[in-house]
Amino acid sequence: MSVICKDVKMAFKTAAGSVSVLKGVDFSAPAGMLTMLVGPSGCGKTTLISLIAGLLRGATGSMQVFGHEVSSMSASMLVPYRLKNIGFIFQQYNLLAGLTASENVAVPLVASGFDWPTALSQGKVLLEKLGLGTHAHKLPSQLSGGQQQRVAIARALVHSPKLLLCDEPTAALDGQAGQAVMTLLRELAIAEDRAAIVVTHDPRVYSFADRVVHMEDGLIAKVESISLGKPDVTTHSTSR
Amino acid sequence: MNLVAFKILLHDKAKYVALVLGVSFATLLISQQSAIFHSLMHASTRDILEANQADIWVMKSSVETLDQGYPIAELSVNRVRSIPGVQWAVPYYQSTAQLRTEDGRMKLVQLVGIDDLSMVGAPQEMLIGTLAGFHQPDAIVMDIAGYTNIFPGVEPRVGAIVEIGQRRAVVVGICYIGASWSGMPRVYTRRSLGVSMARETLNPVTYVLARAAPDHSPEEVAKQITKATGLKARTRSEFMDDTQTWILKYSGIAENFGITILMGVVIGVAIVGQTFYMFSVENLKQFATLKAIGINNWVILRMIMTQALFVSTIGYCLGIGAANLFFAMTSTQLSGGLRGMFMHPFIFVGSGIFIVLVTLLACVVSVRKVLTVDPAVVFRG
Ligand SMILES: Nc1ncnc2c1ncn2[C@@H]1O[C@H](COP(=O)(O)OP(=O)(O)OP(=O)(O)O)[C@@H](O)[C@H]1O
Ligand SMILES: [Mg+2]
Repeated sequence: MSVICKDVKMAFKTAAGSVSVLKGVDFSAPAGMLTMLVGPSGCGKTTLISLIAGLLRGATGSMQVFGHEVSSMSASMLVPYRLKNIGFIFQQYNLLAGLTASENVAVPLVASGFDWPTALSQGKVLLEKLGLGTHAHKLPSQLSGGQQQRVAIARALVHSPKLLLCDEPTAALDGQAGQAVMTLLRELAIAEDRAAIVVTHDPRVYSFADRVVHMEDGLIAKVESISLGKPDVTTHSTSR
Repeated sequence: MNLVAFKILLHDKAKYVALVLGVSFATLLISQQSAIFHSLMHASTRDILEANQADIWVMKSSVETLDQGYPIAELSVNRVRSIPGVQWAVPYYQSTAQLRTEDGRMKLVQLVGIDDLSMVGAPQEMLIGTLAGFHQPDAIVMDIAGYTNIFPGVEPRVGAIVEIGQRRAVVVGICYIGASWSGMPRVYTRRSLGVSMARETLNPVTYVLARAAPDHSPEEVAKQITKATGLKARTRSEFMDDTQTWILKYSGIAENFGITILMGVVIGVAIVGQTFYMFSVENLKQFATLKAIGINNWVILRMIMTQALFVSTIGYCLGIGAANLFFAMTSTQLSGGLRGMFMHPFIFVGSGIFIVLVTLLACVVSVRKVLTVDPAVVFRG
């Protein structure tokens, strides 16, 4: 196991008082697999992966990510933790508008201390693999949504992170582009020592998962292991 | 990551241009107005600047400023000459007088009477004619700006005959004199002639110009002169200071320029601050993404400071360039109130430092926003 969350509780303070969003989540994402996190809007999916990513603090419980106890890290420790261990893919791609595709991909490497030429050439190699070799010099605005998301995949993977976190990576894409992005994700992201978590609403892409974790109202409802197309359903205890 | 900072900055061309223009406009306003102010103050000491052979000015004790000298007795010159440490002392006469052209037009002019023998205080830059012309009968030398004022449209040349204080005067030379405080045409003549043109009978000296002997300090000699004669004796630089202080105190010029310069500052801060703020807010998501990826606040801060410094440097260069282009065009004019105006190196450097500080200050506000943006927003809309 590589990502193991136990009894994670998270509440947000709002004007109306404290709102409990995660109510004791037990969640895991093994290395070498693509785990999908699904569930109705507002059930807490983004909150959970933000906590695992160290983008959000203030939860109780335990969150082990490849041996790091994320819940006990200080804000300043979380920054290098993210840089070293996590690759992000966002619904809106979030590419830097002024940078070309290959420059965007190079950013995590440059931030990790590589010089630009090295980072750029590694970025280009990865873009080739994603079928974007001829687009490496283009700005995001010159690329289609699907192409931009592929650039984002390259940026998320270029520094070989242990954990890949994707929030609705296909939500902004049409069916075909979504399928293409997921195919590439499976091809490139799945590795022995890497866990991938994909939050999605999109049932058309469930088939790309090894495991599907269903969330409901701040709790894990059930976990499906998908092997050879036959779902093996384990219903999760929700007795808390 | 500074390269990323540049690319982010340059990508939004419209905002980048607005930022640079804001900075350059503020620079132009601040540096040009400061330079004009400084030049005007400089011009207010015009006679002291022209009579640069003298390092001590002696005057009636009630004189506060260069343009308001009172006549003193001729005897004063000899009294100054008798003070130990005075190398030489000569009379200098200054007054306003009525000039009448042959066709009957009247002009008030600034009359300067220079010592007949030593010629101390004579114009330094003769355009037409020579200083020898002063010894001709009824000789006057006019400054070119005054000449074109008195004889509009007439090609400057010697030979024009006018009447000053009901005395005949012949233009024997035309000189260049930088702008002065009063802006009146300037007429130079021998003191003996000037005194009669101004119809001065009793006291034909306004200032005694003196020079300290090589082994004496002008300050020390000036004190000695005051002590021995009861007249006010000031070194060249003291008298310049007196004159400028008087003008600052009584003219309102400092307030006037102060307001304009302040406006430059306010406009600069407003435009630059506002645009930089908008720029940062619009790029907030990009910065949040960088923070999510794992770029720390110090690097982000450096990126923003790099952007600010880059913008302020380019804006400053354009603004200071425009200001100097302005002076390059006006300063070489022979007449006109802006002639001889220039930008002191202090203003050149000072406005640069100032603009960089203003820009950095303006971006501090936006920096706060960027540094405190929650990287968790990257997952939201
Ligand atoms: N910063 C916050 N402050 C207050 N409430 C928040 C905050 N972030 C999230 N919430 C609330 O927490 C709940 C869960 O939000 P979250 O974004 O995790 O849901 P989600 O499962 O990702 O939903 P969606 O599928 O719509 O993206 C929602 O009710 C949301 O309003
Ligand atoms: Mg969400």
